[in-house]
Amino acid sequence: MSDDGWPEPAVDYVQAIADTKILLGQRYGEWMLKGPNLEDDISGASNAQDEIGQVRQLFRVLTRQGVDDEWLESERAPDEYANAATLDTEADAWPTFIVQVALTDRAAWLLLDAIDHDDFTGMVQKMGEDEYFHLEHHDGRLETLAEDQPEAVEAALEDYFPDILAFVGPATHDAESDPLVDAGFTDRPAAEIRRALAEHYADLFAGTEVSVPPLDDGVPDPDAWDETRRRVGDGHVDADVVDQLQGVSNREYVIA
Amino acid sequence: MSVNTAGSIAAGAHAGPSEDADEFERELWATLDTVPDPHIPVSLVEMAMVYDIDAGGGDVTVTMTFPCMGCPAYDMIKDDVRAALRTVRGVTDVNIEITWDPVWSKDMLTNNAREELRDAGISL
Repeated sequence: MSDDGWPEPAVDYVQAIADTKILLGQRYGEWMLKGPNLEDDISGASNAQDEIGQVRQLFRVLTRQGVDDEWLESERAPDEYANAATLDTEADAWPTFIVQVALTDRAAWLLLDAIDHDDFTGMVQKMGEDEYFHLEHHDGRLETLAEDQPEAVEAALEDYFPDILAFVGPATHDAESDPLVDAGFTDRPAAEIRRALAEHYADLFAGTEVSVPPLDDGVPDPDAWDETRRRVGDGHVDADVVDQLQGVSNREYVIA
Repeated sequence: MSVNTAGSIAAGAHAGPSEDADEFERELWATLDTVPDPHIPVSLVEMAMVYDIDAGGGDVTVTMTFPCMGCPAYDMIKDDVRAALRTVRGVTDVNIEITWDPVWSKDMLTNNAREELRDAGISL
């Protein structure tokens, strides 16, 4: 374990991944009894457990960088969560949900996998063991849905793509200008991750009726992009969801 | 003094006291070998979840991992480790360090643990 302090933007970067994963856990949990098949429900429950386990470890390394654990766990306002904007609201239909979590879980994994720091040695590999199954399941369901409900999948892609690109980062963050690469914390700039994400879905939907939105270098607008919350604008998850994340109604049962 | 290192764990072997470990260190390992994995009928040591015990005086630091990052018994197991070691004479404090390096693998299980798991109907 490294005792070195991380470069300044790294705490925000890991915070955004952690907050995205805690919301992924929430969204998987909301859908774990509403999937079309028992396998989808089991997958939702399992994925939720995986994400919460990963959040526990990301919070642990964040506290070692001076982030207050009480703030992380239970004292934050909704607009202090730096989750991907794709997860701000619960999806209202199954194809929408699958696109929502598929894009977001893959983007979060790509951001994690880009970390090149001793504090994450082994940890990211372990998370990758979980993510392999999440992403395989998503892609399998997306291929099926692309045949059965192509319009719904395409509409969800158009809806979520700008927000997932904002989560990854602006196109201007390339190998020469990405501050995390420059600081040596990551080894893959946002611009490259954006391309990898877009190419993955272009390949996945090739030969189907689903068109993937083009990779627009103007999205997000780098001047409007919030580097801390990795989004554009001041949107946030609803307060009642934050109450659930923080276990407000079950607080009396917490063992100190 | 560190009585083992995570990096020394090889396939088919699990961490335990080094050959030159003193009686105190051996007692710490033996004590943890009585703490069961809550999911399956083997100890945390047999599960190769304990990578190292650093017994600097009475302050004991256990470096351990988990087969599953989302283990629902994560806090319970850590509580069990603390509770067990605090019963050992000479232990004044117990700290637990979680590591993922090396990543746990079922290849780390001992042959004895494998047999116990098979006897319990758990395939490997």
